[in-house]
Amino acid sequence: MLSQPLIVARKEIQDHLRDTRSVISSLFYALMGPMVVGMVSIATRGQKASEVLFSMMAVFALVAGFVGGMNVAIDAIAGERERRSLLPLLMNPLLRRDVIIGKWLAISLFAVAGLVLNLLGFALVVSFSPARLLIVAFTLIPLALFAAALELLISTSCHNIKEAHTYLSLIIFVPMGIGMFLVFFPHMARAWMFLPVAGQQLLIELVAKGGQLSLLSFSLLTVTTLAFAAATLAIAAHLLQRDDVVYGG
Amino acid sequence: MIQTTHLQKSFGAVQAVQDLSFNAPDGAITGLLGSNGAGKTTTLRMICGVLQPDRGSVRIDNVAPSSDPRLLQSRVGALLDHIGIYPRLTTRENLNYFGELRGIPRGQLAKRVDQVLSQLGLEAIADRRTAGFSQGERMKTALARAILHSPQNLLLDEPGNGLDVPSVRAVRLLLRQMRDSGMCIVLSSHILDEVRILCDHVAVVSGGRIVAQGAPGDLCRETASASLEDAYMKLTNNQENLECSASL
Repeated sequence: MLSQPLIVARKEIQDHLRDTRSVISSLFYALMGPMVVGMVSIATRGQKASEVLFSMMAVFALVAGFVGGMNVAIDAIAGERERRSLLPLLMNPLLRRDVIIGKWLAISLFAVAGLVLNLLGFALVVSFSPARLLIVAFTLIPLALFAAALELLISTSCHNIKEAHTYLSLIIFVPMGIGMFLVFFPHMARAWMFLPVAGQQLLIELVAKGGQLSLLSFSLLTVTTLAFAAATLAIAAHLLQRDDVVYGG
Repeated sequence: MIQTTHLQKSFGAVQAVQDLSFNAPDGAITGLLGSNGAGKTTTLRMICGVLQPDRGSVRIDNVAPSSDPRLLQSRVGALLDHIGIYPRLTTRENLNYFGELRGIPRGQLAKRVDQVLSQLGLEAIADRRTAGFSQGERMKTALARAILHSPQNLLLDEPGNGLDVPSVRAVRLLLRQMRDSGMCIVLSSHILDEVRILCDHVAVVSGGRIVAQGAPGDLCRETASASLEDAYMKLTNNQENLECSASL
């Protein structure tokens, strides 16, 4: 017998895989980056070009980690509330924390799958070394887990699918905005290097320029990112205890 | 058996339930009768553990009230006003999901799902995705979900809504069978005919309080009314008049 979070996660995965429109849209997002960078790579040569292509790849991979689980997240709580199935779910003898963990596991699976598919696409179209791609994957997987938690929190606080879609669409601008900020204020990099999103961007930038990766920095960043994910899930579970969140809208 | 004692619940400035106490015994169908906004649904939500009362307590099958709602939830099945089912899953998959969450062992679950599908006449649509189901089919699927774990206590909020005449009769027959097997059934309704036909015991709710309770015949006698409708009007009007006088 599976534990309750795993039962919730399995149902979410089964349910979402049948949503053809959403699966195709996730696939499109995951493969868009490799297609664009593949086309640019044909027209670009030289060492500097490789660095530019790698940076482009990193931005697409980062966004892929954020986008992969988005449709699942929208449906996870806001969708349940809109179709009036949240209350019947909460009538079961299960902790609301377990509902959140189960749904987060499902969103995370799609987020990580989107990221991995994206990187596999890059491996096929651009000749980056597998070692560098693996570093990017291991750097971004914890970030995808944090993104899944953040998306679930937003879905929990939204009343319906439309509202969740609006706010979650904006979340793509978080990695882009932080990236731009660091370009204009590079002196902030040191202070932000252990924070989710900014830390991963700085680390990948270092790899792009051929710098030496510190295992300590990498581990610290992974731990802080996972801690942020855990805190975000705790807030979502707390929100799901509130009457206005369960019945509102 | 369900026993509520001095239940209170507010949502901001709105006091939905004020001081609500009633008993629903085993082997009987108890009707919560009240107009829209009287506090029936909020009461049922507190009984099934999805809302925590501000004050008062719910005791089910003589289990002491606890802050852990799972103790209540494991003893209750409920079909409340939210009857959402998952449209991309089949009827059987919807039921399997809730059966697993209820902890029914896998071997027993398949048998129990078949049994419930047959009880509610859902065999023909058991393996169809529920997207596009009629309101009646959705209601029956949700009712199947509520009784799947064979609860001793069943809560129903307006169970006749959206059902056609044969389905209403089938559900009534099923409820009587469950009552005769010793279950405690509480249903809320503002449809007097439904309450009169089905309920052994009625609790009239007005303004978040129980204003009268007893067998439908007793309520008619006590209020010197020819019908349950007259009795209900007298009981709730009296209550409203009292509230008006108190506020003056």
